[in-house]
Amino acid sequence: MTYAKLGNLRFIGHLDLQRLFERALRRTNLPLRYTQGFSPHMRINLASALPLGFIGEAEQMDFWLDDEVSLDEISNRLNKALPAELILKNLQVIDNQLPSLQASLLTSEFEIVLPPDLEPGNLQDQMNALLEQDSLPVQRRKKTVDLKNLILTWQLDCQPAKTLMVTSMKATPLENGRPDELLVLLGIDPADCVITRTKMVFSEE
Amino acid sequence: MQKININQLEKILYHVEKPGRYVGGEHNQILKDWDSTHTHVCLVFPDIYDIGQPNLGLAILYDIVNQQPDILAERAFAPWHDLEAQLRENKIPLFSLESKHPLAEFDIIGLSLPYESLYTNALNVLDLAGIPLLASERGEDHPLIIAGGQACFNPEPMADFIDAFVIGEGEEVTLELIRAFEELKESGADRKALLLGLSKLPGVYVPSLYHINYAQNGTISGFTPSEPGVPAIVTKRIVSQLPPHPTRLIVPNIETVHDRLSIEIMRGCTRGCRFCHAGVVNRPVRERSAAEILQIIEDGLSSTGYEEIGLLSLSSSDHTQVLELTRSVYDKFHDRKVFVSLPSLRIASFSVELMDELRDLRPGGGFTLAPEAASPRMQAIINKPLDNEVFEETVRTVFEHGWLTLKLYYMIGLPGETMKDVQAILDAGKRVLAIGRQLRGNRVKVHLSVGNFIPKPHTPFQWYPLNSTDELQAKLDLLKTGIRRTGLKLSYNIPDNTLLEAWLSRGDRRLGHVIQRAWQLGAKFDAWGENNNVPIWRQAFFETGLDPDFYAYRERALDEILPWVHIHTGVTKAFLQRDLEWSKQGKTRKDCREQCYACGILDSFGKVRPVSPLVYWGCP
Repeated sequence: MTYAKLGNLRFIGHLDLQRLFERALRRTNLPLRYTQGFSPHMRINLASALPLGFIGEAEQMDFWLDDEVSLDEISNRLNKALPAELILKNLQVIDNQLPSLQASLLTSEFEIVLPPDLEPGNLQDQMNALLEQDSLPVQRRKKTVDLKNLILTWQLDCQPAKTLMVTSMKATPLENGRPDELLVLLGIDPADCVITRTKMVFSEE
Repeated sequence: MQKININQLEKILYHVEKPGRYVGGEHNQILKDWDSTHTHVCLVFPDIYDIGQPNLGLAILYDIVNQQPDILAERAFAPWHDLEAQLRENKIPLFSLESKHPLAEFDIIGLSLPYESLYTNALNVLDLAGIPLLASERGEDHPLIIAGGQACFNPEPMADFIDAFVIGEGEEVTLELIRAFEELKESGADRKALLLGLSKLPGVYVPSLYHINYAQNGTISGFTPSEPGVPAIVTKRIVSQLPPHPTRLIVPNIETVHDRLSIEIMRGCTRGCRFCHAGVVNRPVRERSAAEILQIIEDGLSSTGYEEIGLLSLSSSDHTQVLELTRSVYDKFHDRKVFVSLPSLRIASFSVELMDELRDLRPGGGFTLAPEAASPRMQAIINKPLDNEVFEETVRTVFEHGWLTLKLYYMIGLPGETMKDVQAILDAGKRVLAIGRQLRGNRVKVHLSVGNFIPKPHTPFQWYPLNSTDELQAKLDLLKTGIRRTGLKLSYNIPDNTLLEAWLSRGDRRLGHVIQRAWQLGAKFDAWGENNNVPIWRQAFFETGLDPDFYAYRERALDEILPWVHIHTGVTKAFLQRDLEWSKQGKTRKDCREQCYACGILDSFGKVRPVSPLVYWGCP
């Protein structure tokens, strides 16, 4: 399932989103698959946690059914069961043998709308200067992460009405890029920006 | 009027813990168009979202008001410290979750006051909304502030801050009040005339329309309406039959307490425990039929997707169809992967059978029983008699049926209690643990949970003083020493933490100054024990020249005019006094379904009792 997470739901964290999906799926009355055992859990699998405050345009999730149901039927029921700001974009039947979404996620792409009062001026120069450094260490809780390794592309897109930043970053469990950390390096408060994860790229295998 | 700047607000939300508390957008939220609805009501639960959103009373009123196409009801909660600091710093007024309108833009604000420890939060909410705290300082353009909930059966401590209280059940009177408000406004009534008009609605109490005189000794010498036509006595409202239960309940996006489909299966209780406020103010007992409850579960699960159901009442094993209900719940829902909890069970093997009917539908964990008192003497005093054989048989059944953890609720500080009665709690715990270990071995855990008794208005114990902190501490010390090396687990409340509830629950109107001063000195979230705001409250009492001991530790004379003299629950003072007398004699009363003790409920409400035998009332 590909979905968008918008509006107020940007402020709902990953674990809460997981519970929200479980309840939405229960409302569909679809033949959902549960784990075996004393306290069965619904089998669902979200590709990657979206940081609080970010918009997700093409988020992905897997869920399992016990019986075959047409995609149209699933889509109809999901549309009724999802909260207004979680929008179903696409459904696809996948091979059960495929590795999990988390295991096959390679990169995430982000679009950042910079604050309207920010002068782009020498922003490009600042970005280039950062990219020319050997490493870009940032502090995450107790460990230091080198952002330099995580940036695949990073560009500025100055449009007449707004200034955008577009970046593609590694998104594997061990190496996960966060665009808000790039903004902090530039001295921009991420809370002043609108950050959207626009795409997730998965391994073809 | 200041509008909320959404961009500014969103920026702030990046910097608070759990921003999901403040944004709404949940499934089943009702978002109406502001401009095309005539009257705007904001329902406010003055604690954080996590605590307030699951409140069933809030859900019921939200549903009832929003069923009216021309009225809009939205929600607001108290912000946690982090957001409050941001709102104050950025001068953003408190807003509703649905449309993010400032509270001051609503026509009516309905405050939920189920317990006293929310009073300072209520003031804080009004202040954050930019609304004057004192009803007397509010003008024509300010919203009407109404309050309701179980604490409002003694409205006096909050009388200075509330324009009108709703006394009793809100299902019918809420809409009557809103419609009367609209009519009075349309007729051009000013605030004074509006309040006078509202005071004539049954169950509505407008505190500014009463004069109170005090005697030299600080007690009340007179309580009279100050305008003609204002009722001297306000009788609570009840619904003659429990109205349709809401099923399109808001499903929170973040984790809350009691995050489940809560269903009220019965209102009221016929047992007559003498310490129990809820047992008096919620009379008479009214039930929903098993068939209706099953339909509510069906509809509720479809519309919410919840994985847990709570079947709520004051005494679930007393529901006349409870066995049929638990059996059908299992039959109908056992393949739907739901948990069912059935709290508030009586001490009887029957209760264990009920839980057994729910088998794999119950959440894991322990079994809970509430004897409240352990010695036969205390049990007679509080009218909760418990035959020791029945108790031990129940305990045995609990362990035999698979539970390994048993939690027992007791109270200390009850009237007439001696150290022997406290020792009896320990002895009971030890006996229960021995039974459990004999049956199931050392895996068995017995947990004694001990609360401090607080005398409550409208109960037969309303005249008693609170135990002093020293007395309570001595009793706790006995328990703490006594459980050593027994294997029992003990949890208890710090004596000081009961003071606030004791002061406020039987307080008079003068306490308004104390509440306001305590809030100014920084008291809020008083229900959160770790805050320990007692020193602040003592300071507030000191500065306002009132004596806290007058409210907590004084035995009231039977002929004293109590601060809630004008609030009638349907139960008469004569009945309460007789019951107090019986308590002193160690005389118990039966379940009042077996025999009527003429508490007064039928005199007050017999007229509205449905004639259909299909509508169950607990009264004979």
